[in-house]
Amino acid sequence: MEINVRKRSQVQVVQLRGPLRMGAAVDDLRQTFEEALANGDSRIVLNLAEVNMIDSSGIGLLVRFLASTKKNGGSIKLIQPSKFAVQTLRLVGVLNLFEIFDSDDAAVDSFAA
Amino acid sequence: MSAEFSSGPENTTLSELLDRDMPADAEAISAAVDVISETLARLEVPEQKLLEIALAVQEALANAVVHGCGNDHSKQVRCRMKTDADGHILIIVTDPGPGFSPERLNDPKKHENLHSDHGRGVYLIRQLMDEVHFEPSGNEIRMWKY
Repeated sequence: MEINVRKRSQVQVVQLRGPLRMGAAVDDLRQTFEEALANGDSRIVLNLAEVNMIDSSGIGLLVRFLASTKKNGGSIKLIQPSKFAVQTLRLVGVLNLFEIFDSDDAAVDSFAA
Repeated sequence: MSAEFSSGPENTTLSELLDRDMPADAEAISAAVDVISETLARLEVPEQKLLEIALAVQEALANAVVHGCGNDHSKQVRCRMKTDADGHILIIVTDPGPGFSPERLNDPKKHENLHSDHGRGVYLIRQLMDEVHFEPSGNEIRMWKY
């Protein structure tokens, strides 16, 4: 899985490409989140437009760091999850924990609202 | 949602699509899931069904690695995929572990478990596949998608 990280308006914009599943993908995203939090960045938007699968390890990671970022006054917001990713999140009951947006701009701007 | 039966419709003739042993590590199971996805795509399985099978296999293999093999890369996990004349898909995942009792698992959708970072794999499998059966030994799962 590829991870691209940039900063916009004090928000970490994380773009993923590939399946988010147990192994290097989840490990690398975990490291990305940990580094962000270590740097005091708890506002994160995660673009999932090119993520065709999220397994339970990926879901666990998202849920865990959603809690961590919220504890620090931020959040993790999702952008354009695929139909199947939405289905998976809904199946395990966590879809409603997340705010979901259609674009990076909308997600980033929501932190200023 | 799946039901659990003492045996699936396995008295029909099944063709073997895949029989693969792999080391108990995340990259090996990812590669196996990718091969399974490619095989299903060649069979022109509809995308939604393909994704559901692929994710269920990912979860079953992950459980085999973590719980069946204790993340010991020297151990092996086996994955088989078969099909019947009607295009129904059977996946069998076997590990060398001591087994487990699926009925003892927590419900991940209960409020107190929603924020947990684990414990959703078997639940997902049951939601994604049409029939799920755990062998009494607890170290083999057989799951059907119709």
